[in-house]
Amino acid sequence: MPDDKPSQGGADYTQWHEVKSGETLSKIAQQYYGDASLYPKIFEANKDTLKDPNKIRVGQKLRIP
Amino acid sequence: MLKTSWKYALALVCAVTLACNSGKAPAEAAMKRAEEAVAGAQTEAANLVPDDMKSLSDDMAAARATMAKGDYKTAEASAQAIQQKANDVLAKAKTKKDELTTAWGQLSDSVPKMLDAIKSRVDILSQSKKLPKGMDAARLASAKDGLAAATAGWGEAQEAYKAGKWSDAIAKGTSARDKATEVMAALGMQAGGAPAAAPAK
Repeated sequence: MPDDKPSQGGADYTQWHEVKSGETLSKIAQQYYGDASLYPKIFEANKDTLKDPNKIRVGQKLRIP
Repeated sequence: MLKTSWKYALALVCAVTLACNSGKAPAEAAMKRAEEAVAGAQTEAANLVPDDMKSLSDDMAAARATMAKGDYKTAEASAQAIQQKANDVLAKAKTKKDELTTAWGQLSDSVPKMLDAIKSRVDILSQSKKLPKGMDAARLASAKDGLAAATAGWGEAQEAYKAGKWSDAIAKGTSARDKATEVMAALGMQAGGAPAAAPAK
Protein backbone atom coordinates (compact mmCIF):
# COMPACT_ATOMS: atom_id res chain seq x y z
CA MET A 1 0.00 0.00 0.00
CA PRO A 2 1.37 3.46 -0.83
CA ASP A 3 2.49 5.43 2.19
CA ASP A 4 -0.30 7.54 3.61
CA LYS A 5 1.79 10.63 4.15
CA PRO A 6 0.36 14.02 3.24
CA SER A 7 2.95 16.23 1.63
CA GLN A 8 4.61 18.75 3.87
CA GLY A 9 3.61 22.39 3.64
CA GLY A 10 0.68 21.88 1.38
CA ALA A 11 -1.79 23.97 -0.49
CA ASP A 12 -3.56 26.89 1.11
CA TYR A 13 -7.27 27.15 0.43
CA THR A 14 -7.82 30.14 2.62
CA GLN A 15 -9.40 33.14 0.98
CA TRP A 16 -7.60 36.36 1.85
CA HIS A 17 -8.65 39.99 1.78
CA GLU A 18 -6.27 42.92 1.75
CA VAL A 19 -7.67 45.80 3.74
CA LYS A 20 -8.23 48.99 1.80
CA SER A 21 -8.60 52.52 3.03
CA GLY A 22 -11.91 53.14 4.79
CA GLU A 23 -12.77 49.47 5.28
CA THR A 24 -13.97 47.95 8.54
CA LEU A 25 -14.59 44.35 9.47
CA SER A 26 -18.30 45.04 9.16
CA LYS A 27 -17.87 46.33 5.62
CA ILE A 28 -15.75 43.35 4.70
CA ALA A 29 -18.34 41.00 6.19
CA GLN A 30 -21.02 42.80 4.21
CA GLN A 31 -18.96 42.37 1.08
CA TYR A 32 -18.31 38.63 1.46
CA TYR A 33 -21.36 37.47 3.41
CA GLY A 34 -23.97 40.08 2.57
CA ASP A 35 -24.42 40.68 6.30
CA ALA A 36 -22.29 43.16 8.28
CA SER A 37 -23.30 41.59 11.57
CA LEU A 38 -21.23 38.53 10.71
CA TYR A 39 -17.96 40.47 11.16
CA PRO A 40 -17.06 38.40 14.30
CA LYS A 41 -16.50 35.42 11.97
CA ILE A 42 -13.67 37.31 10.29
CA PHE A 43 -12.36 38.59 13.61
CA GLU A 44 -12.26 35.05 15.06
CA ALA A 45 -10.43 33.75 12.01
CA ASN A 46 -7.77 36.43 12.39
CA LYS A 47 -7.28 36.49 16.14
CA ASP A 48 -3.63 35.70 15.69
CA THR A 49 -3.11 39.13 14.15
CA LEU A 50 -6.14 41.12 15.34
CA LYS A 51 -6.56 42.09 18.98
CA ASP A 52 -9.43 44.50 18.46
CA PRO A 53 -12.08 44.15 15.75
CA ASN A 54 -12.16 47.93 15.44
CA LYS A 55 -8.47 48.18 14.67
CA ILE A 56 -7.47 46.99 11.24
CA ARG A 57 -4.92 48.66 9.07
CA VAL A 58 -4.65 49.31 5.37
CA GLY A 59 -2.69 46.59 3.60
CA GLN A 60 -3.37 44.04 6.30
CA LYS A 61 -4.26 40.62 4.92
CA LEU A 62 -7.23 38.98 6.56
CA ARG A 63 -8.49 35.42 6.29
CA ILE A 64 -12.05 35.21 5.09
CA PRO A 65 -13.54 31.99 6.48
CA MET B 1 16.30 -59.12 -39.46
CA LEU B 2 13.15 -58.21 -37.56
CA LYS B 3 14.92 -58.85 -34.28
CA THR B 4 17.74 -56.51 -35.28
CA SER B 5 15.26 -53.77 -36.20
CA TRP B 6 13.64 -54.01 -32.80
CA LYS B 7 17.02 -53.58 -31.19
CA TYR B 8 17.68 -50.46 -33.27
CA ALA B 9 14.27 -49.09 -32.43
CA LEU B 10 14.76 -49.73 -28.75
CA ALA B 11 18.17 -48.12 -28.84
CA LEU B 12 16.70 -45.09 -30.61
CA VAL B 13 13.93 -44.72 -28.02
CA CYS B 14 16.48 -44.96 -25.23
CA ALA B 15 18.68 -42.38 -26.91
CA VAL B 16 15.77 -39.98 -27.37
CA THR B 17 14.60 -40.52 -23.80
CA LEU B 18 18.08 -39.92 -22.47
CA ALA B 19 18.45 -36.81 -24.57
CA CYS B 20 15.16 -35.47 -23.35
CA ASN B 21 15.67 -36.38 -19.71
CA SER B 22 19.11 -34.87 -19.74
CA GLY B 23 17.45 -31.42 -20.04
CA LYS B 24 14.74 -32.12 -17.52
CA ALA B 25 16.63 -31.23 -14.33
CA PRO B 26 17.80 -27.76 -15.41
CA ALA B 27 14.35 -27.08 -16.86
CA GLU B 28 12.73 -28.04 -13.56
CA ALA B 29 15.13 -25.81 -11.67
CA ALA B 30 14.41 -22.91 -14.01
CA MET B 31 10.68 -23.51 -13.71
CA LYS B 32 10.95 -23.48 -9.92
CA ARG B 33 12.79 -20.16 -9.98
CA ALA B 34 10.23 -18.76 -12.41
CA GLU B 35 7.33 -19.90 -10.21
CA GLU B 36 8.96 -18.18 -7.23
CA ALA B 37 9.55 -15.00 -9.22
CA VAL B 38 5.92 -14.91 -10.36
CA ALA B 39 4.66 -15.57 -6.84
CA GLY B 40 6.91 -12.79 -5.52
CA ALA B 41 5.64 -10.35 -8.13
CA GLN B 42 2.02 -11.33 -7.53
CA THR B 43 1.90 -9.87 -4.03
CA GLU B 44 3.21 -6.48 -5.04
CA ALA B 45 2.00 -6.11 -8.61
CA ALA B 46 -1.50 -7.60 -8.72
CA ASN B 47 -3.24 -4.38 -7.66
CA LEU B 48 -0.79 -1.98 -9.22
CA VAL B 49 -0.21 -3.41 -12.71
CA PRO B 50 -2.91 -6.10 -13.11
CA ASP B 51 -2.56 -6.39 -16.90
CA ASP B 52 1.17 -6.99 -16.69
CA MET B 53 0.63 -9.48 -13.89
CA LYS B 54 -1.94 -11.38 -15.96
CA SER B 55 0.45 -11.53 -18.90
CA LEU B 56 3.13 -12.90 -16.59
CA SER B 57 0.76 -15.54 -15.19
CA ASP B 58 -0.27 -16.51 -18.72
CA ASP B 59 3.38 -16.95 -19.69
CA MET B 60 3.91 -19.14 -16.63
CA ALA B 61 0.93 -21.31 -17.55
CA ALA B 62 2.27 -21.69 -21.08
CA ALA B 63 5.69 -22.67 -19.74
CA ARG B 64 4.08 -25.29 -17.49
CA ALA B 65 2.24 -26.72 -20.50
CA THR B 66 5.48 -26.85 -22.50
CA MET B 67 7.18 -28.61 -19.60
CA ALA B 68 4.33 -31.13 -19.38
CA LYS B 69 4.80 -31.94 -23.05
CA GLY B 70 8.42 -32.82 -22.34
CA ASP B 71 9.88 -29.95 -24.31
CA TYR B 72 12.38 -29.14 -21.59
CA LYS B 73 14.66 -26.94 -23.64
CA THR B 74 11.84 -24.61 -24.63
CA ALA B 75 10.39 -24.72 -21.12
CA GLU B 76 13.73 -23.77 -19.61
CA ALA B 77 14.13 -20.84 -22.01
CA SER B 78 10.59 -19.71 -21.24
CA ALA B 79 11.20 -20.00 -17.51
CA GLN B 80 14.31 -17.85 -17.76
CA ALA B 81 12.42 -15.24 -19.77
CA ILE B 82 9.65 -15.28 -17.16
CA GLN B 83 12.13 -14.56 -14.37
CA GLN B 84 13.32 -11.46 -16.23
CA LYS B 85 9.75 -10.44 -17.01
CA ALA B 86 8.81 -10.82 -13.34
CA ASN B 87 11.61 -8.42 -12.43
CA ASP B 88 10.36 -5.95 -15.04
CA VAL B 89 6.79 -6.22 -13.73
CA LEU B 90 8.02 -5.60 -10.19
CA ALA B 91 9.95 -2.53 -11.33
CA LYS B 92 6.88 -1.24 -13.16
CA ALA B 93 4.76 -1.85 -10.07
CA LYS B 94 7.22 0.13 -7.96
CA THR B 95 7.08 3.06 -10.38
CA LYS B 96 3.30 2.92 -10.37
CA LYS B 97 3.27 2.76 -6.59
CA ASP B 98 5.46 5.86 -6.40
CA GLU B 99 3.15 7.71 -8.80
CA LEU B 100 0.06 6.74 -6.83
CA THR B 101 1.69 7.64 -3.53
CA THR B 102 2.52 11.10 -4.85
CA ALA B 103 -0.95 11.59 -6.32
CA TRP B 104 -2.66 10.39 -3.15
CA GLY B 105 -0.43 12.61 -1.01
CA GLN B 106 -1.45 15.64 -3.06
CA LEU B 107 -5.14 14.75 -2.82
CA SER B 108 -4.90 14.05 0.92
CA ASP B 109 -3.24 17.41 1.38
CA SER B 110 -5.73 19.41 -0.67
CA VAL B 111 -9.21 17.90 -0.60
CA PRO B 112 -9.85 17.97 3.19
CA LYS B 113 -8.69 21.61 3.31
CA MET B 114 -10.94 22.51 0.41
CA LEU B 115 -13.92 20.80 2.04
CA ASP B 116 -13.22 22.58 5.34
CA ALA B 117 -13.00 25.95 3.59
CA ILE B 118 -16.24 25.36 1.70
CA LYS B 119 -18.06 24.12 4.79
CA SER B 120 -16.96 27.18 6.75
CA ARG B 121 -18.20 29.53 4.04
CA VAL B 122 -21.46 27.68 3.52
CA ASP B 123 -22.13 27.69 7.28
CA ILE B 124 -21.52 31.43 7.50
CA LEU B 125 -23.59 32.23 4.42
CA SER B 126 -26.38 30.10 5.88
CA GLN B 127 -26.43 32.48 8.87
CA SER B 128 -26.48 35.59 6.70
CA LYS B 129 -29.66 37.62 6.72
CA LYS B 130 -28.98 38.74 3.18
CA LEU B 131 -26.67 37.00 0.76
CA PRO B 132 -23.90 38.95 -0.97
CA LYS B 133 -24.21 40.18 -4.52
CA GLY B 134 -23.86 37.35 -7.00
CA MET B 135 -25.23 34.82 -4.53
CA ASP B 136 -28.81 33.75 -4.05
CA ALA B 137 -30.62 31.02 -2.15
CA ALA B 138 -30.61 28.65 -5.12
CA ARG B 139 -26.89 29.09 -5.66
CA LEU B 140 -26.21 28.53 -1.98
CA ALA B 141 -28.37 25.40 -2.02
CA SER B 142 -26.46 24.16 -5.05
CA ALA B 143 -23.17 24.81 -3.22
CA LYS B 144 -24.45 22.79 -0.24
CA ASP B 145 -25.34 19.92 -2.56
CA GLY B 146 -21.92 20.17 -4.19
CA LEU B 147 -20.24 20.11 -0.79
CA ALA B 148 -22.22 17.01 0.18
CA ALA B 149 -21.27 15.29 -3.09
CA ALA B 150 -17.59 16.20 -2.76
CA THR B 151 -17.53 15.06 0.88
CA ALA B 152 -19.17 11.74 -0.02
CA GLY B 153 -16.79 11.30 -2.97
CA TRP B 154 -13.78 11.92 -0.75
CA GLY B 155 -15.11 9.37 1.74
CA GLU B 156 -15.41 6.81 -1.05
CA ALA B 157 -11.88 7.60 -2.19
CA GLN B 158 -10.55 6.97 1.30
CA GLU B 159 -12.44 3.68 1.51
CA ALA B 160 -11.01 2.58 -1.83
CA TYR B 161 -7.54 3.52 -0.65
CA LYS B 162 -7.92 1.51 2.54
CA ALA B 163 -9.13 -1.45 0.46
CA GLY B 164 -5.95 -1.28 -1.63
CA LYS B 165 -7.81 -0.10 -4.75
CA TRP B 166 -5.34 2.68 -5.32
CA SER B 167 -6.19 3.64 -8.89
CA ASP B 168 -9.87 3.76 -7.96
CA ALA B 169 -9.00 5.87 -4.91
CA ILE B 170 -7.07 8.36 -7.05
CA ALA B 171 -9.93 8.57 -9.57
CA LYS B 172 -12.55 9.16 -6.87
CA GLY B 173 -10.31 11.59 -5.00
CA THR B 174 -9.64 13.56 -8.18
CA SER B 175 -13.35 13.70 -8.89
CA ALA B 176 -14.00 14.98 -5.34
CA ARG B 177 -11.29 17.62 -5.76
CA ASP B 178 -12.78 18.75 -9.08
CA LYS B 179 -16.21 19.04 -7.48
CA ALA B 180 -14.79 21.01 -4.56
CA THR B 181 -13.00 23.35 -7.00
CA GLU B 182 -16.28 23.90 -8.83
CA VAL B 183 -18.12 24.71 -5.58
CA MET B 184 -15.38 27.10 -4.45
CA ALA B 185 -15.64 28.93 -7.75
CA ALA B 186 -19.43 29.12 -7.43
CA LEU B 187 -19.04 30.62 -3.95
CA GLY B 188 -16.54 33.18 -5.22
CA MET B 189 -13.76 31.63 -3.16
CA GLN B 190 -10.36 31.97 -4.71
CA ALA B 191 -8.02 29.23 -3.58
CA GLY B 192 -4.41 29.92 -2.81
CA GLY B 193 -2.23 31.95 -0.52
CA ALA B 194 -2.45 35.22 -2.40
CA PRO B 195 -5.06 37.71 -1.25
CA ALA B 196 -8.21 37.05 -3.22
CA ALA B 197 -10.28 39.50 -5.13
CA ALA B 198 -13.46 40.36 -3.30
CA PRO B 199 -16.87 39.60 -4.77
CA ALA B 200 -18.41 42.39 -6.80
CA LYS B 201 -19.87 45.12 -4.59
